[in-house]
Amino acid sequence: MLKYLIIQLDSTSTSFCHYAVNRREPCLMPLDTLRKAIRWSMIENVNVQFLYPEYPLPAEYADAIETIDHVKIMQATAADAGKADIVVFDGIASVDADSLSEDMSIVVRTGKKAFFAEYAMLNAILPKVSRLNVVITDIASFADDDFTTYEAALTELAVAVKNEYVGNHPVQFNLLTDRIMLKEMNNCGAGSESLTLAPNGRFYVCPAFYFDDESDSVGDIDNGPSLKNPQLYKLGYAPICRVCDAFHCHRCVWLNRRTTLEVNTPSHEQCATAHIERNASRRLLEAIREVGEFLPGMEIPEIDYIDPFENVRIDR
Amino acid sequence: MNEEKLKIKEDAQQWEGGVAKNITFIVTKDCQLACKYCYLVGKNEEERMSWEVAKQAIDYIFDHENDFPERSVVFDFIGGEPFLEIDLIERICDYIKTELFRRQHHWFDSYRFSFSTNGINYDTQKVQRFIEKNASHLSIGITIDGTQRKHDLNRIWKGDGPERGSYNDVVRNIPLWLSQFPGGGTKVTISSADIPYIRESVLHLYSLGIHEVNINVVFEDVWQEGDDRRFEEQLMLLADDIIDGDYYKDYSCSFFSERIGKPLDPVKENNNWCGAGRMLSIDAAGNFYPCTRFAAYSLREKRPIIIGNVRDGINKNRLRPFLTLDRTTQSPQECVDCEVASGCAWCQGENYDAAETPTVYQRSTAICLMHKARVRANNYYWNRLFRKLEKDGSREEFEQNKRNVKPEIC
Repeated sequence: MLKYLIIQLDSTSTSFCHYAVNRREPCLMPLDTLRKAIRWSMIENVNVQFLYPEYPLPAEYADAIETIDHVKIMQATAADAGKADIVVFDGIASVDADSLSEDMSIVVRTGKKAFFAEYAMLNAILPKVSRLNVVITDIASFADDDFTTYEAALTELAVAVKNEYVGNHPVQFNLLTDRIMLKEMNNCGAGSESLTLAPNGRFYVCPAFYFDDESDSVGDIDNGPSLKNPQLYKLGYAPICRVCDAFHCHRCVWLNRRTTLEVNTPSHEQCATAHIERNASRRLLEAIREVGEFLPGMEIPEIDYIDPFENVRIDR
Repeated sequence: MNEEKLKIKEDAQQWEGGVAKNITFIVTKDCQLACKYCYLVGKNEEERMSWEVAKQAIDYIFDHENDFPERSVVFDFIGGEPFLEIDLIERICDYIKTELFRRQHHWFDSYRFSFSTNGINYDTQKVQRFIEKNASHLSIGITIDGTQRKHDLNRIWKGDGPERGSYNDVVRNIPLWLSQFPGGGTKVTISSADIPYIRESVLHLYSLGIHEVNINVVFEDVWQEGDDRRFEEQLMLLADDIIDGDYYKDYSCSFFSERIGKPLDPVKENNNWCGAGRMLSIDAAGNFYPCTRFAAYSLREKRPIIIGNVRDGINKNRLRPFLTLDRTTQSPQECVDCEVASGCAWCQGENYDAAETPTVYQRSTAICLMHKARVRANNYYWNRLFRKLEKDGSREEFEQNKRNVKPEIC
């Protein structure tokens, strides 16, 4: 069931996820399209998330946006960043910890190399925010050595997270605490729980699909969404994911399509990184419980694999 | 009671069925024929495999023995028409044999070379020399579609000018082929226009001495209104002929099987029909495919699915969708709930080509009515046959002697 509509206000609106914004020339969504999108969202009863460009929006756009309950997602460098509900940083080093406040939710997009070089800086950020989402944009490039390095990095970061919890600051950190809080899959949901409306007035599975190929739309605001094979975006139609308990995994359908050519099938790299996070979360849960009672009833079992594909493949 | 040992023949088991790796060399995309029902839409004379590409492919496969743990291997050679490239094939097979021995590979003496040919070049000196040299590790099937009028309806020579059937050019080689492969089977393909000739064609193939007729309807959406009824009528007539003529004792026709037409358990009987992804196909450019049907020359609408190449190896991520495919996930609900689901086949490549999005997870249902017609005729066949056997007192013997046949996975 559709729950969210992501409205990309401009072709250069910020990315908050794995995909890169590959448009340089701004192209603002027509005001008429924006108004239709807001009306459509009210009728369909979906929550709206606006992706903002760097430049300030005209006053009539700001007025229209305020006619509906919504979430604002902006780059930290955007003109109106102070009004954002979620602030996006490109690179860990670009985050000025002193400028953060405890009620902030931030997204940090980083490449693998930069993450390995800079992850220790997150220790200074964790005490300053209510939620930190780290998105490693080039997960598909992980090799065996990288998995080892990643596991070591998360083990170190878990110490900082534990200290926050012991210090009564239960910060949410997607890589280490989301799995602890979940009893079932809670993934991106693009194509099943969310769609994106691009500045051209067309629906896409998510903004990444718009940037990949503008003709790959799934309907338009005048005629409504028309996603073909919608079942393939649902958990029950994903043979690997439906038996998996890395509940926090992005399960990014765009990465799936890029790497395996199927939206319902994750790559080894996506599965393995999610399981390294899952296992690090398990150890973090145990570490916090050494200090005192914490989330009784929430258990993460020990497992001996990092890719559930090995459990469901039909040729072995 | 009939003292003679009753032999009931059904489809022959594939060699090492289910445990052998199938590796297919698309040695050429050329063929002497231009069969009207051929799914290969991009045949051409240019894309011929070079020795360098073939060798690179073999070296890659043998260098990565751990990635190919199957007990046995079947090397398939297809085209187009594979025997157009007999010189290359002979060199490939020689190299495979030498390398298996030199490397002490676990496939040494557990390999087979397999061909499906149009039969036109079968009696040439080069092909015959190859057969003699590799006889103990060889399977060859010649495709002949039945009577001359049925065969020539579709299997015509390519080129401009008046249509010319290939029946006479093939049938002359059948005796030689059967003398070398006495159990040889043929593949018969049924499209809409062929339906009236099914009965006569199967009987004709039996009369040529071919005991195993593997016959199927095309998976493409070519069917006309009323085809299912016409199909059912033909199969009923064929059933009568097979039973009344006692052909069931020594001959098989894959249309009739005890295993088809039953509901399937969504959990216990959830296997994929197709072996795409467990196979490996290599084309002239050195690209790897999960099955030949995913190469560009096989696809009408979609881009090819390339899973690697001889230089960079296999991209295992691209195999994951194929190796996790099951029946229910790709099937519409009507197929999951179908009361006569067993034996209803699909081709993963055709599913992909016909799908609304670029996915292998949308099963085409173009043959639904044809399968249901087959099931009705199949029920008739077995009810009639069993009644006859019971009256003859030979039912028990039949049950004891029938072969344990598994459905053939493509």
